[in-house]
Amino acid sequence: MMKKYGLLAVALCLSGIYLFPLYWMYITALKTGTEIFANPPTFWPENPQWAVAEVWTRLKMDVYLRNSLLIASGVTVIVAICGTGCAYVLARIRNRWMDVVLFTVLMMQVLPSSLMITPIFVAFNQVGLNEVPRTAVILAQAAKVLPLYIVLCRATFVQVPRELEEAALVDGNSRIGAFLSIMVPLARNGILVTSVLIFLQSFGEYVYSRSLITQRALQPATVGLQSFMGPNTSDWSGVMTYSAIYVTPVLIIFVLLQRQIVSGLTSGALK
Amino acid sequence: MLRVAKSFRDGAGFDTMLVAFALGYLVLFSGFPLVYNLVMSFQSVDLFSLASFDRPFVGLDNYYDVLSRPEAWGIFLNTVKFVGISVAAQLAIGFALALFFQQDFPGSTWLRGLFLAGWIMPALVVGAVWSWILAGDFGVLNHLLMSFGLLEDRVFWLSDPDVALYSVIIANIWLGVPFNMILLSVGLAGIPADIYEAAEMDGANGVQRFFTITLPMMRAQLGAVISLGVIFTLQQFDLFAALTQGGPSNASNVFQYWSWQLSFQHYEIGVGSVISVLMILFVILVAAVYVRSTRHEHVA
Repeated sequence: MMKKYGLLAVALCLSGIYLFPLYWMYITALKTGTEIFANPPTFWPENPQWAVAEVWTRLKMDVYLRNSLLIASGVTVIVAICGTGCAYVLARIRNRWMDVVLFTVLMMQVLPSSLMITPIFVAFNQVGLNEVPRTAVILAQAAKVLPLYIVLCRATFVQVPRELEEAALVDGNSRIGAFLSIMVPLARNGILVTSVLIFLQSFGEYVYSRSLITQRALQPATVGLQSFMGPNTSDWSGVMTYSAIYVTPVLIIFVLLQRQIVSGLTSGALK
Repeated sequence: MLRVAKSFRDGAGFDTMLVAFALGYLVLFSGFPLVYNLVMSFQSVDLFSLASFDRPFVGLDNYYDVLSRPEAWGIFLNTVKFVGISVAAQLAIGFALALFFQQDFPGSTWLRGLFLAGWIMPALVVGAVWSWILAGDFGVLNHLLMSFGLLEDRVFWLSDPDVALYSVIIANIWLGVPFNMILLSVGLAGIPADIYEAAEMDGANGVQRFFTITLPMMRAQLGAVISLGVIFTLQQFDLFAALTQGGPSNASNVFQYWSWQLSFQHYEIGVGSVISVLMILFVILVAAVYVRSTRHEHVA
Protein backbone atom coordinates (compact mmCIF):
# COMPACT_ATOMS: atom_id res chain seq x y z
CA MET A 1 0.00 0.00 0.00
CA MET A 2 2.75 2.42 0.98
CA LYS A 3 4.57 1.56 -2.20
CA LYS A 4 1.56 2.51 -4.32
CA TYR A 5 1.34 5.95 -2.78
CA GLY A 6 5.06 6.39 -3.07
CA LEU A 7 4.78 5.70 -6.78
CA LEU A 8 1.86 8.09 -7.01
CA ALA A 9 3.96 10.80 -5.40
CA VAL A 10 6.78 10.23 -7.89
CA ALA A 11 4.26 10.26 -10.74
CA LEU A 12 2.86 13.58 -9.54
CA CYS A 13 6.39 15.00 -9.41
CA LEU A 14 7.17 13.82 -12.94
CA SER A 15 3.92 15.25 -14.30
CA GLY A 16 4.63 18.47 -12.45
CA ILE A 17 8.08 18.79 -14.01
CA TYR A 18 6.74 17.97 -17.44
CA LEU A 19 3.83 20.39 -17.22
CA PHE A 20 5.94 23.21 -15.73
CA PRO A 21 6.03 25.16 -19.04
CA LEU A 22 2.22 25.27 -19.01
CA TYR A 23 2.23 26.46 -15.41
CA TRP A 24 4.83 29.09 -16.25
CA MET A 25 2.70 30.34 -19.15
CA TYR A 26 -0.36 30.82 -16.93
CA ILE A 27 1.62 32.35 -14.07
CA THR A 28 3.36 34.82 -16.38
CA ALA A 29 0.02 35.73 -17.89
CA LEU A 30 -1.17 36.65 -14.40
CA LYS A 31 1.84 38.76 -13.45
CA THR A 32 2.14 42.49 -13.78
CA GLY A 33 4.63 44.09 -16.15
CA THR A 34 7.21 44.83 -13.45
CA GLU A 35 6.87 41.52 -11.64
CA ILE A 36 7.74 39.64 -14.82
CA PHE A 37 11.25 41.05 -14.78
CA ALA A 38 11.75 40.57 -11.07
CA ASN A 39 14.99 38.93 -10.03
CA PRO A 40 14.73 36.30 -8.65
CA PRO A 41 11.52 35.39 -10.52
CA THR A 42 8.46 34.78 -8.38
CA PHE A 43 6.76 31.42 -8.64
CA TRP A 44 3.46 32.77 -7.43
CA PRO A 45 2.15 36.14 -8.63
CA GLU A 46 2.15 38.74 -5.85
CA ASN A 47 -0.80 40.69 -7.12
CA PRO A 48 -2.36 38.62 -9.89
CA GLN A 49 -4.03 40.52 -12.69
CA TRP A 50 -6.27 39.29 -15.40
CA ALA A 51 -5.14 41.16 -18.48
CA VAL A 52 -7.37 39.02 -20.69
CA ALA A 53 -9.71 41.77 -21.85
CA GLU A 54 -6.90 44.23 -22.45
CA VAL A 55 -4.75 41.77 -24.46
CA TRP A 56 -7.82 40.53 -26.32
CA THR A 57 -8.64 43.97 -27.70
CA ARG A 58 -5.10 45.33 -28.03
CA LEU A 59 -3.90 42.37 -30.09
CA LYS A 60 -7.16 41.99 -32.02
CA MET A 61 -7.46 38.40 -30.94
CA ASP A 62 -11.08 38.19 -32.03
CA VAL A 63 -10.00 38.53 -35.67
CA TYR A 64 -7.17 36.00 -35.37
CA LEU A 65 -9.18 33.44 -33.46
CA ARG A 66 -12.12 33.75 -35.84
CA ASN A 67 -9.78 32.99 -38.73
CA SER A 68 -8.31 30.03 -36.85
CA LEU A 69 -11.79 28.69 -36.17
CA LEU A 70 -12.80 29.19 -39.78
CA ILE A 71 -9.74 27.40 -41.12
CA ALA A 72 -9.95 24.54 -38.63
CA SER A 73 -13.68 24.04 -39.29
CA GLY A 74 -13.22 24.10 -43.04
CA VAL A 75 -10.43 21.55 -42.86
CA THR A 76 -12.43 19.27 -40.56
CA VAL A 77 -15.50 19.34 -42.82
CA ILE A 78 -13.51 18.56 -45.98
CA VAL A 79 -11.53 15.81 -44.27
CA ALA A 80 -14.60 14.17 -42.71
CA ILE A 81 -16.48 14.17 -46.03
CA CYS A 82 -13.58 12.87 -48.11
CA GLY A 83 -12.04 10.55 -45.57
CA THR A 84 -14.84 8.65 -43.83
CA GLY A 85 -15.87 6.59 -46.87
CA CYS A 86 -12.30 5.83 -47.77
CA ALA A 87 -11.51 4.72 -44.22
CA TYR A 88 -14.54 2.41 -44.30
CA VAL A 89 -13.57 0.78 -47.59
CA LEU A 90 -9.98 0.33 -46.44
CA ALA A 91 -11.23 -1.37 -43.28
CA ARG A 92 -13.58 -3.73 -45.17
CA ILE A 93 -11.73 -4.83 -48.25
CA ARG A 94 -8.28 -6.33 -48.40
CA ASN A 95 -6.81 -7.01 -51.79
CA ARG A 96 -3.81 -5.94 -53.78
CA TRP A 97 -5.43 -2.69 -54.88
CA MET A 98 -6.44 -1.68 -51.38
CA ASP A 99 -2.91 -2.43 -50.20
CA VAL A 100 -1.64 0.02 -52.79
CA VAL A 101 -4.17 2.63 -51.68
CA LEU A 102 -3.28 2.18 -48.02
CA PHE A 103 0.41 2.43 -48.80
CA THR A 104 -0.18 5.62 -50.80
CA VAL A 105 -2.22 7.14 -47.99
CA LEU A 106 0.46 6.33 -45.43
CA MET A 107 3.11 7.85 -47.67
CA MET A 108 1.10 11.04 -48.09
CA GLN A 109 0.94 11.32 -44.33
CA VAL A 110 4.66 11.92 -43.96
CA LEU A 111 5.11 14.85 -46.34
CA PRO A 112 6.33 17.82 -44.26
CA SER A 113 4.26 20.99 -44.71
CA SER A 114 7.32 23.21 -44.69
CA LEU A 115 8.66 21.39 -47.74
CA MET A 116 5.35 21.07 -49.61
CA ILE A 117 4.54 24.74 -49.26
CA THR A 118 6.82 25.94 -52.07
CA PRO A 119 5.15 23.97 -54.89
CA ILE A 120 1.71 24.56 -53.36
CA PHE A 121 2.35 28.28 -53.25
CA VAL A 122 3.51 28.44 -56.86
CA ALA A 123 0.72 26.18 -58.16
CA PHE A 124 -1.98 28.03 -56.21
CA ASN A 125 -0.56 31.29 -57.46
CA GLN A 126 -0.87 30.13 -61.06
CA VAL A 127 -4.51 29.08 -60.76
CA GLY A 128 -5.44 32.17 -58.75
CA LEU A 129 -6.18 30.41 -55.46
CA ASN A 130 -3.93 32.82 -53.60
CA GLU A 131 -6.63 35.43 -54.13
CA VAL A 132 -8.69 33.57 -51.54
CA PRO A 133 -5.90 32.76 -49.09
CA ARG A 134 -7.97 31.24 -46.30
CA THR A 135 -9.58 28.80 -48.73
CA ALA A 136 -6.12 28.01 -50.07
CA VAL A 137 -4.88 27.20 -46.56
CA ILE A 138 -7.96 25.05 -45.91
CA LEU A 139 -7.42 23.05 -49.11
CA ALA A 140 -3.71 22.54 -48.43
CA GLN A 141 -4.09 21.69 -44.75
CA ALA A 142 -6.93 19.25 -45.52
CA ALA A 143 -4.58 17.35 -47.81
CA LYS A 144 -1.99 17.33 -45.04
CA VAL A 145 -4.25 15.81 -42.37
CA LEU A 146 -6.56 13.67 -44.52
CA PRO A 147 -4.23 10.63 -44.36
CA LEU A 148 -4.09 10.78 -40.55
CA TYR A 149 -7.90 10.92 -40.45
CA ILE A 150 -8.19 7.94 -42.78
CA VAL A 151 -5.71 5.87 -40.78
CA LEU A 152 -7.37 6.59 -37.41
CA CYS A 153 -10.93 6.19 -38.72
CA ARG A 154 -10.00 2.96 -40.43
CA ALA A 155 -9.05 1.54 -37.04
CA THR A 156 -12.55 2.41 -35.79
CA PHE A 157 -14.34 0.80 -38.73
CA VAL A 158 -12.26 -2.37 -38.31
CA GLN A 159 -13.86 -2.80 -34.88
CA VAL A 160 -17.46 -2.65 -36.18
CA PRO A 161 -18.71 -6.21 -36.74
CA ARG A 162 -19.16 -7.08 -40.40
CA GLU A 163 -22.34 -9.08 -39.75
CA LEU A 164 -24.37 -5.98 -38.90
CA GLU A 165 -23.76 -4.54 -42.32
CA GLU A 166 -24.41 -7.84 -44.08
CA ALA A 167 -27.72 -8.19 -42.24
CA ALA A 168 -28.74 -4.74 -43.43
CA LEU A 169 -27.89 -5.66 -47.02
CA VAL A 170 -29.93 -8.87 -46.77
CA ASP A 171 -32.85 -6.77 -45.52
CA GLY A 172 -32.76 -4.90 -48.79
CA ASN A 173 -30.68 -1.87 -47.93
CA SER A 174 -28.52 -0.42 -50.66
CA ARG A 175 -24.79 -0.18 -50.04
CA ILE A 176 -24.99 3.54 -49.49
CA GLY A 177 -28.00 3.06 -47.22
CA ALA A 178 -26.22 0.45 -45.13
CA PHE A 179 -23.10 2.62 -44.96
CA LEU A 180 -24.94 5.73 -43.83
CA SER A 181 -27.54 4.16 -41.53
CA ILE A 182 -25.53 1.31 -39.98
CA MET A 183 -21.78 1.78 -40.33
CA VAL A 184 -21.41 5.50 -39.75
CA PRO A 185 -23.63 5.57 -36.64
CA LEU A 186 -21.77 2.59 -35.17
CA ALA A 187 -18.41 4.20 -35.80
CA ARG A 188 -19.71 7.56 -34.60
CA ASN A 189 -17.48 7.91 -31.55
CA GLY A 190 -14.31 7.17 -33.43
CA ILE A 191 -15.26 9.54 -36.22
CA LEU A 192 -16.03 12.30 -33.72
CA VAL A 193 -12.82 11.94 -31.73
CA THR A 194 -10.71 11.81 -34.89
CA SER A 195 -12.48 14.89 -36.20
CA VAL A 196 -11.76 16.73 -32.97
CA LEU A 197 -8.11 15.73 -33.25
CA ILE A 198 -7.98 17.01 -36.83
CA PHE A 199 -9.71 20.20 -35.73
CA LEU A 200 -7.17 20.79 -32.95
CA GLN A 201 -4.25 20.11 -35.31
CA SER A 202 -5.59 22.61 -37.82
CA PHE A 203 -6.41 25.13 -35.10
CA GLY A 204 -2.64 25.37 -34.52
CA GLU A 205 -1.62 25.27 -38.18
CA TYR A 206 1.19 27.67 -38.98
CA VAL A 207 3.37 27.07 -42.07
CA TYR A 208 0.67 27.26 -44.72
CA SER A 209 -1.05 30.25 -43.14
CA ARG A 210 2.20 32.14 -42.72
CA SER A 211 3.17 31.57 -46.34
CA LEU A 212 -0.17 31.92 -48.12
CA ILE A 213 -1.96 34.63 -46.13
CA THR A 214 -0.44 38.09 -46.36
CA GLN A 215 -3.37 40.20 -45.19
CA ARG A 216 -3.37 40.65 -41.46
CA ALA A 217 -7.16 40.54 -41.23
CA LEU A 218 -7.22 37.03 -42.66
CA GLN A 219 -4.40 35.47 -40.60
CA PRO A 220 -5.01 32.85 -37.89
CA ALA A 221 -3.89 33.06 -34.27
CA THR A 222 -0.56 31.28 -34.79
CA VAL A 223 0.63 33.83 -37.35
CA GLY A 224 -0.76 36.62 -35.18
CA LEU A 225 1.26 35.41 -32.21
CA GLN A 226 4.45 35.06 -34.24
CA SER A 227 4.19 38.49 -35.84
CA PHE A 228 3.66 40.04 -32.46
CA MET A 229 6.52 38.25 -30.70
CA GLY A 230 9.33 39.70 -32.80
CA PRO A 231 13.02 39.28 -32.01
CA ASN A 232 13.24 41.88 -29.23
CA THR A 233 9.98 41.35 -27.43
CA SER A 234 9.68 42.77 -23.97
CA ASP A 235 5.94 42.32 -23.63
CA TRP A 236 6.17 38.77 -22.31
CA SER A 237 3.06 39.22 -20.22
CA GLY A 238 1.16 39.99 -23.42
CA VAL A 239 2.66 37.03 -25.28
CA MET A 240 1.87 34.61 -22.47
CA THR A 241 -1.64 35.98 -21.99
CA TYR A 242 -2.25 35.61 -25.72
CA SER A 243 -0.90 32.03 -25.57
CA ALA A 244 -3.02 31.21 -22.55
CA ILE A 245 -6.22 32.53 -24.14
CA TYR A 246 -5.39 30.62 -27.29
CA VAL A 247 -4.62 27.22 -25.79
CA THR A 248 -7.00 27.07 -22.85
CA PRO A 249 -9.96 25.88 -24.99
CA VAL A 250 -7.65 23.34 -26.64
CA LEU A 251 -6.54 22.04 -23.24
CA ILE A 252 -10.14 21.87 -21.95
CA ILE A 253 -11.26 19.83 -24.97
CA PHE A 254 -8.22 17.62 -24.49
CA VAL A 255 -8.86 16.93 -20.81
CA LEU A 256 -12.51 16.12 -21.54
CA LEU A 257 -11.66 13.71 -24.34
CA GLN A 258 -8.32 12.50 -22.98
CA ARG A 259 -9.24 8.84 -22.74
CA GLN A 260 -10.74 8.66 -26.23
CA ILE A 261 -7.89 10.60 -27.84
CA VAL A 262 -5.27 8.34 -26.28
CA SER A 263 -7.01 5.15 -27.33
CA GLY A 264 -7.73 6.53 -30.80
CA LEU A 265 -4.08 7.41 -31.29
CA THR A 266 -2.76 4.12 -30.06
CA SER A 267 -5.13 2.00 -32.13
CA GLY A 268 -4.40 3.86 -35.34
CA ALA A 269 -0.80 4.93 -35.26
CA LEU A 270 0.74 1.49 -35.11
CA LYS A 271 -1.39 -0.41 -37.60
CA MET B 1 -25.68 3.06 -67.55
CA LEU B 2 -27.85 0.54 -65.74
CA ARG B 3 -24.82 -1.62 -65.11
CA VAL B 4 -22.97 1.27 -63.53
CA ALA B 5 -25.93 1.99 -61.29
CA LYS B 6 -26.18 -1.66 -60.29
CA SER B 7 -22.49 -1.86 -59.52
CA PHE B 8 -22.85 1.24 -57.44
CA ARG B 9 -25.78 -0.29 -55.56
CA ASP B 10 -24.24 -3.54 -54.56
CA GLY B 11 -20.80 -3.97 -55.93
CA ALA B 12 -17.34 -2.66 -56.29
CA GLY B 13 -18.53 0.59 -57.82
CA PHE B 14 -19.52 2.02 -54.48
CA ASP B 15 -16.23 1.14 -52.84
CA THR B 16 -14.24 2.41 -55.79
CA MET B 17 -16.05 5.72 -55.71
CA LEU B 18 -15.44 6.26 -51.99
CA VAL B 19 -11.75 5.49 -52.35
CA ALA B 20 -11.38 7.47 -55.56
CA PHE B 21 -12.88 10.52 -53.90
CA ALA B 22 -10.30 10.64 -51.11
CA LEU B 23 -7.44 9.51 -53.29
CA GLY B 24 -8.33 12.08 -55.92
CA TYR B 25 -8.15 14.81 -53.33
CA LEU B 26 -4.77 13.59 -52.12
CA VAL B 27 -3.37 13.29 -55.63
CA LEU B 28 -4.54 16.80 -56.48
CA PHE B 29 -3.27 18.54 -53.36
CA SER B 30 -0.33 16.36 -52.26
CA GLY B 31 0.73 14.21 -55.18
CA PHE B 32 0.71 16.97 -57.76
CA PRO B 33 2.71 19.45 -55.64
CA LEU B 34 5.18 16.65 -54.97
CA VAL B 35 5.82 16.18 -58.69
CA TYR B 36 5.68 19.89 -59.35
CA ASN B 37 8.36 20.38 -56.73
CA LEU B 38 10.64 18.00 -58.60
CA VAL B 39 10.02 19.87 -61.85
CA MET B 40 10.73 23.24 -60.25
CA SER B 41 14.01 22.02 -58.83
CA PHE B 42 15.27 21.81 -62.43
CA GLN B 43 13.89 25.20 -63.41
CA SER B 44 14.96 28.75 -62.83
CA VAL B 45 12.12 30.12 -60.71
CA ASP B 46 12.16 33.53 -59.10
CA LEU B 47 9.77 36.30 -58.22
CA PHE B 48 9.32 37.33 -61.86
CA SER B 49 8.65 33.93 -63.37
CA LEU B 50 6.50 32.87 -60.44
CA ALA B 51 3.15 33.30 -62.16
CA SER B 52 4.16 32.21 -65.65
CA PHE B 53 4.23 28.66 -66.94
CA ASP B 54 7.17 29.30 -69.24
CA ARG B 55 10.31 28.87 -67.21
CA PRO B 56 13.73 27.88 -68.51
CA PHE B 57 15.06 24.47 -67.54
CA VAL B 58 18.53 24.71 -66.05
CA GLY B 59 19.32 21.05 -65.49
CA LEU B 60 21.19 20.41 -62.27
CA ASP B 61 22.29 24.04 -61.83
CA ASN B 62 20.06 24.57 -58.79
CA TYR B 63 21.48 21.46 -57.17
CA TYR B 64 25.09 22.56 -57.72
CA ASP B 65 24.23 26.06 -56.60
CA VAL B 66 22.65 25.21 -53.28
CA LEU B 67 24.91 22.34 -52.28
CA SER B 68 28.07 24.33 -52.93
CA ARG B 69 27.01 27.22 -50.73
CA PRO B 70 29.28 27.65 -47.72
CA GLU B 71 26.42 27.36 -45.21
CA ALA B 72 25.01 24.14 -46.68
CA TRP B 73 27.37 21.80 -44.84
CA GLY B 74 26.75 23.38 -41.43
CA ILE B 75 23.00 23.28 -41.93
CA PHE B 76 23.22 19.65 -42.97
CA LEU B 77 25.15 18.80 -39.79
CA ASN B 78 22.58 20.74 -37.75
CA THR B 79 19.78 18.71 -39.31
CA VAL B 80 21.55 15.47 -38.45
CA LYS B 81 22.20 16.64 -34.88
CA PHE B 82 18.65 17.91 -34.48
CA VAL B 83 17.12 14.62 -35.58
CA GLY B 84 19.66 12.37 -33.87
CA ILE B 85 19.63 14.00 -30.45
CA SER B 86 15.87 14.66 -30.46
CA VAL B 87 14.93 11.12 -31.40
CA ALA B 88 17.41 9.51 -29.00
CA ALA B 89 16.33 11.66 -26.05
CA GLN B 90 12.61 11.36 -26.80
CA LEU B 91 12.99 7.61 -26.99
CA ALA B 92 15.03 7.30 -23.79
CA ILE B 93 12.80 9.60 -21.72
CA GLY B 94 9.62 8.24 -23.29
CA PHE B 95 10.67 4.67 -22.60
CA ALA B 96 11.62 5.43 -19.00
CA LEU B 97 8.28 7.15 -18.39
CA ALA B 98 6.37 4.34 -20.10
CA LEU B 99 8.09 1.79 -17.85
CA PHE B 100 7.35 3.90 -14.80
CA PHE B 101 3.67 4.40 -15.59
CA GLN B 102 3.37 0.68 -16.24
CA GLN B 103 3.59 0.19 -12.45
CA ASP B 104 0.35 -0.35 -10.63
CA PHE B 105 -0.71 2.72 -8.66
CA PRO B 106 -3.84 4.84 -8.42
CA GLY B 107 -4.32 7.36 -11.22
CA SER B 108 -1.50 5.99 -13.38
CA THR B 109 -3.47 5.97 -16.65
CA TRP B 110 -4.91 9.39 -16.06
CA LEU B 111 -1.60 11.00 -15.13
CA ARG B 112 0.06 9.36 -18.12
CA GLY B 113 -2.62 10.77 -20.39
CA LEU B 114 -2.00 14.22 -18.95
CA PHE B 115 1.41 14.24 -20.60
CA LEU B 116 -0.26 14.44 -23.99
CA ALA B 117 -1.33 17.98 -23.10
CA GLY B 118 2.06 19.11 -24.42
CA TRP B 119 1.62 17.19 -27.63
CA ILE B 120 -1.84 18.61 -28.36
CA MET B 121 -0.78 22.26 -28.07
CA PRO B 122 0.02 24.26 -31.21
CA ALA B 123 3.79 23.91 -31.68
CA LEU B 124 4.11 27.64 -32.25
CA VAL B 125 2.66 28.35 -28.80
CA VAL B 126 5.00 25.75 -27.31
CA GLY B 127 7.82 27.65 -28.98
CA ALA B 128 6.59 30.95 -27.53
CA VAL B 129 6.40 29.52 -24.02
CA TRP B 130 9.86 27.96 -24.30
CA SER B 131 11.39 31.16 -25.64
CA TRP B 132 10.23 32.86 -22.45
CA ILE B 133 11.56 30.05 -20.28
CA LEU B 134 14.88 30.10 -22.14
CA ALA B 135 15.22 33.89 -22.22
CA GLY B 136 18.75 34.91 -21.27
CA ASP B 137 18.09 37.73 -18.81
CA PHE B 138 14.83 36.87 -17.14
CA GLY B 139 14.36 33.25 -18.17
CA VAL B 140 13.34 30.88 -15.42
CA LEU B 141 15.62 28.08 -16.64
CA ASN B 142 18.75 30.13 -16.07
CA HIS B 143 17.47 31.08 -12.63
CA LEU B 144 16.71 27.47 -11.66
CA LEU B 145 20.01 26.13 -12.94
CA MET B 146 21.95 28.85 -11.16
CA SER B 147 20.13 28.46 -7.87
CA PHE B 148 20.82 24.72 -7.93
CA GLY B 149 24.46 25.55 -8.58
CA LEU B 150 24.48 23.79 -11.93
CA LEU B 151 25.40 26.94 -13.79
CA GLU B 152 27.94 29.64 -13.05
CA ASP B 153 26.71 32.32 -15.38
CA ARG B 154 23.67 33.06 -17.48
CA VAL B 155 23.43 31.19 -20.75
CA PHE B 156 21.95 33.10 -23.65
CA TRP B 157 20.10 30.08 -24.95
CA LEU B 158 18.63 31.59 -28.07
CA SER B 159 21.29 34.05 -29.20
CA ASP B 160 24.52 32.17 -28.42
CA PRO B 161 25.55 30.38 -31.64
CA ASP B 162 26.97 27.47 -29.63
CA VAL B 163 23.76 26.61 -27.83
CA ALA B 164 20.93 27.95 -30.04
CA LEU B 165 20.43 24.62 -31.80
CA TYR B 166 20.32 22.77 -28.48
CA SER B 167 17.62 25.13 -27.22
CA VAL B 168 15.38 24.15 -30.10
CA ILE B 169 16.27 20.51 -29.45
CA ILE B 170 15.21 20.86 -25.79
CA ALA B 171 11.82 22.25 -26.79
CA ASN B 172 11.42 19.57 -29.45
CA ILE B 173 12.20 16.79 -26.97
CA TRP B 174 9.56 18.19 -24.63
CA LEU B 175 7.07 18.20 -27.49
CA GLY B 176 7.83 14.65 -28.62
CA VAL B 177 8.18 12.74 -25.34
CA PRO B 178 4.43 12.15 -24.74
CA PHE B 179 3.84 10.55 -28.13
CA ASN B 180 6.80 8.21 -27.66
CA MET B 181 5.64 7.32 -24.18
CA ILE B 182 2.08 6.52 -25.23
CA LEU B 183 3.13 4.33 -28.15
CA LEU B 184 5.70 2.48 -26.03
CA SER B 185 3.13 1.99 -23.27
CA VAL B 186 0.94 0.15 -25.73
CA GLY B 187 3.82 -2.17 -26.52
CA LEU B 188 4.60 -2.77 -22.85
CA ALA B 189 0.96 -3.56 -22.11
CA GLY B 190 1.07 -6.18 -24.84
CA ILE B 191 3.79 -8.27 -23.17
CA PRO B 192 2.11 -11.15 -21.31
CA ALA B 193 2.62 -10.92 -17.55
CA ASP B 194 3.31 -14.64 -17.10
CA ILE B 195 6.58 -14.33 -18.99
CA TYR B 196 7.80 -11.95 -16.31
CA GLU B 197 6.51 -14.22 -13.56
CA ALA B 198 8.31 -17.20 -15.03
CA ALA B 199 11.53 -15.20 -15.26
CA GLU B 200 11.16 -14.04 -11.68
CA MET B 201 10.77 -17.66 -10.54
CA ASP B 202 13.97 -18.48 -12.36
CA GLY B 203 15.65 -15.78 -10.31
CA ALA B 204 16.11 -13.07 -12.95
CA ASN B 205 16.37 -9.61 -11.44
CA GLY B 206 14.79 -6.45 -12.79
CA VAL B 207 17.69 -5.46 -15.01
CA GLN B 208 17.97 -8.96 -16.47
CA ARG B 209 14.25 -9.08 -17.12
CA PHE B 210 14.45 -5.74 -18.93
CA PHE B 211 17.24 -6.90 -21.24
CA THR B 212 16.04 -10.44 -21.84
CA ILE B 213 12.29 -9.91 -22.05
CA THR B 214 11.24 -6.27 -22.40
CA LEU B 215 13.74 -5.13 -25.02
CA PRO B 216 13.45 -8.15 -27.36
CA MET B 217 9.65 -8.18 -27.11
CA MET B 218 9.54 -4.46 -27.89
CA ARG B 219 11.72 -4.64 -30.99
CA ALA B 220 8.97 -4.00 -33.54
CA GLN B 221 7.46 -1.25 -31.38
CA LEU B 222 10.81 0.47 -30.93
CA GLY B 223 11.44 0.38 -34.66
CA ALA B 224 8.07 2.00 -35.32
CA VAL B 225 8.58 4.67 -32.68
CA ILE B 226 12.06 5.53 -33.95
CA SER B 227 10.98 5.88 -37.57
CA LEU B 228 7.91 7.94 -36.58
CA GLY B 229 10.21 10.08 -34.43
CA VAL B 230 12.54 10.72 -37.36
CA ILE B 231 9.60 11.63 -39.59
CA PHE B 232 8.01 14.00 -37.07
CA THR B 233 11.33 15.62 -36.19
CA LEU B 234 12.07 16.29 -39.84
CA GLN B 235 8.66 17.98 -40.07
CA GLN B 236 9.37 20.35 -37.20
CA PHE B 237 9.15 23.92 -38.44
CA ASP B 238 7.07 25.89 -35.96
CA LEU B 239 9.62 25.68 -33.13
CA PHE B 240 12.32 27.19 -35.34
CA ALA B 241 9.96 29.96 -36.36
CA ALA B 242 9.12 30.73 -32.75
CA LEU B 243 12.52 30.26 -31.11
CA THR B 244 15.54 31.17 -33.24
CA GLN B 245 14.45 31.56 -36.86
CA GLY B 246 17.50 29.56 -37.78
CA GLY B 247 19.83 32.12 -36.31
CA PRO B 248 22.17 33.47 -35.17
CA SER B 249 23.72 33.33 -38.66
CA ASN B 250 22.39 29.85 -39.45
CA ALA B 251 23.80 28.38 -36.22
CA SER B 252 20.49 26.67 -35.51
CA ASN B 253 19.21 26.33 -39.05
CA VAL B 254 18.03 23.00 -40.45
CA PHE B 255 17.10 21.94 -43.96
CA GLN B 256 13.34 22.10 -43.55
CA TYR B 257 13.54 25.69 -42.30
CA TRP B 258 16.24 26.72 -44.77
CA SER B 259 14.16 25.51 -47.69
CA TRP B 260 11.30 27.72 -46.58
CA GLN B 261 13.63 30.69 -46.04
CA LEU B 262 15.11 30.33 -49.52
CA SER B 263 11.67 30.24 -51.13
CA PHE B 264 9.76 32.73 -49.05
CA GLN B 265 12.34 35.17 -47.73
CA HIS B 266 14.87 35.21 -50.55
CA TYR B 267 12.44 34.17 -53.32
CA GLU B 268 14.98 31.70 -54.70
CA ILE B 269 12.17 29.27 -55.33
CA GLY B 270 14.03 26.89 -57.61
CA VAL B 271 16.79 26.50 -55.04
CA GLY B 272 14.29 26.07 -52.22
CA SER B 273 12.67 23.28 -54.21
CA VAL B 274 15.98 21.44 -54.40
CA ILE B 275 16.17 21.19 -50.61
CA SER B 276 12.52 20.15 -50.49
CA VAL B 277 13.09 17.39 -53.02
CA LEU B 278 16.11 16.01 -51.16
CA MET B 279 14.36 16.10 -47.79
CA ILE B 280 11.11 14.62 -49.04
CA LEU B 281 12.98 11.78 -50.71
CA PHE B 282 14.64 11.01 -47.41
CA VAL B 283 11.37 11.20 -45.44
CA ILE B 284 9.64 8.89 -47.89
CA LEU B 285 12.52 6.43 -47.62
CA VAL B 286 12.21 6.30 -43.82
CA ALA B 287 8.43 6.03 -44.09
CA ALA B 288 8.66 3.16 -46.56
CA VAL B 289 10.88 1.22 -44.16
CA TYR B 290 8.43 1.95 -41.34
CA VAL B 291 5.32 0.94 -43.28
CA ARG B 292 6.97 -2.24 -44.50
CA SER B 293 8.05 -3.22 -41.01
CA THR B 294 4.66 -2.64 -39.41
CA ARG B 295 2.90 -4.47 -42.23
CA HIS B 296 5.25 -7.37 -41.76
CA GLU B 297 4.36 -7.51 -38.09
CA HIS B 298 0.68 -7.35 -39.00
CA VAL B 299 0.83 -10.45 -41.17
CA ALA B 300 2.92 -12.44 -38.73
